[in-house]
Amino acid sequence: MATVTFDQATRIYPGGDRPAVDKLNIDIADGEFLVLVGPSGCGKSTSLRMLAGLEDVNDGAIRIGDRDVTHLPPKDRDIAMVFQNYALYPHMTVADNMGFALKIAGVNKAEIRQRVEEAAKILDLTEYLSRKPKALSGGQRQRVAMGRAIVREPQVFLMDEPLSNLDAKLRVQTRTQIASLQRRLGTTTVYVTHDQVEAMTMGDRVAVLKDGLLQQVDSPRNMYDRPANLFVAGFIGSPAMNLVEVPITDGGVTFGNSVVPVNREALKAASDSGDKTVTVGVRPEHFEIADGEAKSVSKDAPAGVAVTVNVVEELGADGYVYGSAEVAGSQVDIVVRVGGRSVPLKGDVLHVVPRGGETHVFSTSTGERLSD
Amino acid sequence: MSTVEDPTPTPVAVTAAAPARPPGRDERFADSGKALNVFSHGFLVLWAVMIVLPLVWIVLGAFKTSTEIGGSAWAWPTNWNLGAFGRAWENGVGGFLVHTLIVLVFSVTLTMLFGSMAAYVLARYEFPGNRLIYFFFVAGAMFPVYLALVPLFFMLKNLGMLNTYQGLILVYVAYSMPFTVFFMHSFFRTLPTALHEAAMIDGCSHTRAFFQIMLPIAKPGLLSVGIFNVLGQWNQYILPLTLMQKQSGTDADHSVLTQGLVNLMVQSGYKNDMPALFAGMTIAMLPVLVVYLSFQRQVQAGLTAGTLK
Repeated sequence: MATVTFDQATRIYPGGDRPAVDKLNIDIADGEFLVLVGPSGCGKSTSLRMLAGLEDVNDGAIRIGDRDVTHLPPKDRDIAMVFQNYALYPHMTVADNMGFALKIAGVNKAEIRQRVEEAAKILDLTEYLSRKPKALSGGQRQRVAMGRAIVREPQVFLMDEPLSNLDAKLRVQTRTQIASLQRRLGTTTVYVTHDQVEAMTMGDRVAVLKDGLLQQVDSPRNMYDRPANLFVAGFIGSPAMNLVEVPITDGGVTFGNSVVPVNREALKAASDSGDKTVTVGVRPEHFEIADGEAKSVSKDAPAGVAVTVNVVEELGADGYVYGSAEVAGSQVDIVVRVGGRSVPLKGDVLHVVPRGGETHVFSTSTGERLSD
Repeated sequence: MSTVEDPTPTPVAVTAAAPARPPGRDERFADSGKALNVFSHGFLVLWAVMIVLPLVWIVLGAFKTSTEIGGSAWAWPTNWNLGAFGRAWENGVGGFLVHTLIVLVFSVTLTMLFGSMAAYVLARYEFPGNRLIYFFFVAGAMFPVYLALVPLFFMLKNLGMLNTYQGLILVYVAYSMPFTVFFMHSFFRTLPTALHEAAMIDGCSHTRAFFQIMLPIAKPGLLSVGIFNVLGQWNQYILPLTLMQKQSGTDADHSVLTQGLVNLMVQSGYKNDMPALFAGMTIAMLPVLVVYLSFQRQVQAGLTAGTLK
């Protein structure tokens, strides 16, 4: 068990001038499950591989516990890694695959066997121990890869998109299993994924990366409630948050036919930096259908924004309405969540207002969060 | 003995020939795939016959008498006995076989070991000069061995290695290296890098990762290139002819099979014993046929090799 620290860690690929990972600073607590998430090419896998020792660190340091491992080879770092394609040794049985690291470490045979059997029991692999990987299904191979990591009892688990080769249903199941296994073992884990649902459901904390730069590290709850900038706001949440550029008015911002209150300091900060507009973010689930009682700016039109329905996705429990609306003189796409029993039809016009206290305000020019 | 080639890659010519078929036959073979099949199979049968007939003739010759061999090529032997094989064996073929085996055991093993090691490093490690060394190896394959014969002869002479096993073994290893490196290089490239990384994280040294992980996984490739090397070195004639000649009257005879058989033919004692010569050829041919037939699947697998995903 150990903490993991990225201290200004930087990776520049040979021949490239832009860093793949740029001055990454993350402190991971002992026993924590940290998820690195971001779009492809954001440097999340590179960060993990730097921690594993598979990529050089060009600048800064990486520490596991108190040990500086920046320039140690992988084998001296006391880590175990689960690869996206599992990287099982095809010529070895499941048991040999799982026990290989222990065998190299010189652990005696009886103990290797005992530890492999223990791990196999946890992962429900006991009856497959003598099989070769090619005689296993995708899910079983994934569990063997997990088992190979578990038997080593390392200080840190590293997982590089371990679920992306599974089918959708199995992925959801395995997601829960990995999370609960990690809680049980209490081993510090760094998990890389491009799937923000995985990130939100599994991690104690989530780190969002973009273009090699860390955008935000926070708990899933805070990440959802208070995204630090426009990128995180758009990345976390499914369907994505509606981000609409609106003009600043007195005491708030005009959102269609209503005014969304925004605190004064935020607006002042925006107008001080010369912005005439701010970007307002509202999640699809935080829109309310206006029933005429909401306060509107002009009396002769209903409150909120008029959204013309283009597509409706019915998910059973609820539905998502994909529509277009005119906000501040330009056409924008808006997604609204509606109750599963009262789904509008295509072509209908809905009047929606953001629920109070659930709006996010970002600076249009810098993308930084203004509201608190 | 290039007769053991796999005759499958032929359908190109067949596709081109197919549309020229008269319409009447096209109707009969309404399914054009079927027509192609009949044509290509006919072609393959013809090819197989062309290859198998001379082989069978040689094997049958071992059972004939000299007069029968001189007679009709289509006649069957009248008296089936293994006498010719015994005579061939006693007259040196046994020794030639042993010499060949001694040379091949070492030369093929060393070729595979060093070839795969070099190929692995060139395929998987980035270092300055990597490409240059690789091209150097590959260039060796384009260099006709005949051009090197005279320098090779003097090189071995200076080293005192003419007519020695170790001399021929070293030359064979060098001779087979370009193809081995070329083939294994592309094979190692197809193996997933994650396997090597997993081995590194599991605590392997580079040596252990190579011998315990990468080499076992490369087994199909090793087998096929190994078989090509066995065939190539077994059938090698010009190199032993130049480098394995007796240097003096007292020098031991280390002739390998190919060279020994020719010697048998030109030696006066064999002028009248054609069946023994044919028997000697059969003996020389059999091990290669056995190797090829028993590893046929691996040869094909090696040529189309991938790995477990």
